Amino acid sequence: MAHPEPAGHQEEEHHGSPWPVIIAVGMGVGYVGIVTASIPMLLAGVVIFVGGAGGWIHQDMQRPSSAFYGLAASVESRFPRVSARKLGMWLLLATEIMFFSAIIGASWTLRLRTTLLGTPLFQGPWAAPNQILNVPLTGLNTFILICSSVTMVEAFAAAEKDDQRRLRLFLLATLVLGIIFVSIQAYEYQKLYFQEGLTFKSAPDGVNPLYGATFYAQTGVHGSHVIAGVLALAYVTRKAFKGAFTKENHEAVELVGLYWHFVDVVWIFLFPIVYLLPA
Amino acid sequence: MAETSMGPGPAIEEHAKRPYLIVFVALAVVTGIELSVYSFPLAHIEIISILMATATIKGGLVVGYYMHLRYEPRWIALIPLGGLGLVAVLVAALTSTSAHP
Repeated sequence: MAHPEPAGHQEEEHHGSPWPVIIAVGMGVGYVGIVTASIPMLLAGVVIFVGGAGGWIHQDMQRPSSAFYGLAASVESRFPRVSARKLGMWLLLATEIMFFSAIIGASWTLRLRTTLLGTPLFQGPWAAPNQILNVPLTGLNTFILICSSVTMVEAFAAAEKDDQRRLRLFLLATLVLGIIFVSIQAYEYQKLYFQEGLTFKSAPDGVNPLYGATFYAQTGVHGSHVIAGVLALAYVTRKAFKGAFTKENHEAVELVGLYWHFVDVVWIFLFPIVYLLPA
Repeated sequence: MAETSMGPGPAIEEHAKRPYLIVFVALAVVTGIELSVYSFPLAHIEIISILMATATIKGGLVVGYYMHLRYEPRWIALIPLGGLGLVAVLVAALTSTSAHP
């Protein structure tokens, strides 16, 4: 009462931002739009989501010290040596494991049961490696993603040592490698869809039509996660160039790194399953 | 976050021993093996077994060293393992229905 300013400051350090709620509302509206096949509602959800994300980023960029939230949370945490934010990230990744497993499991089941479906619409063998997909190109893309993992972990190591130059360099390298991965995948998609004739409903050379649907479902969901990772990387890279991270205050780099490595792990399993398994 | 609990000194010493580049080389080599396996005249089950084994090795390296699970408190591993446990149930269910449509 006698010291209103410190009290307000304390409240601010506990991250009382309305923007995450707005983002959640946008996602909810967008999801209802998808379920009800309502394009206007989906667009409304996207607009609310983008506005909320923009507002949150803008608010965060005003105060480089906001990454201290993790430090405050760890002090309050009941768990030893793990901040609340890192615990939250691991819980998110656990849900992602189940999500990707469902997508891959559904595709695998369709592949195994395709000869049992009994309808001529879905007959035909699965494609052999290199028959439709470009394995060498995607092998290169896999190597690029692995390289981005090592640059990401080196960025975190640089942050631990307070080596600002290496932190910025490796974050930028990770961001560039992530953009290259997405670009190669976009090139692959347009080539497969428009030149090879692999669409959501049909496949060339008598290959089972479900092959295209499962291919785009699995790689598309992963690709959308890579795009989200690239956006997160752009965010922390920009903050790094603004000097926001220090030896004691760089948890955001670690959390984005956890997400990025997880995306790499998913691809490590997806690449052989989608591209290398025999027909 | 190592610093938030242990202080910056020990964390840096610990980090200096982390074999990031060795893991990177291992990942690259195993990826090269994967890219050559599918062209060998092996039985399908052998190719599938080899590819899943190499993927598990690579995934384990990334999770253990790059995601620092080796250096975190042991209980953190229970979180992804919980997700993997449910995956095992899913795989068992799918395999079962695939074998007996």
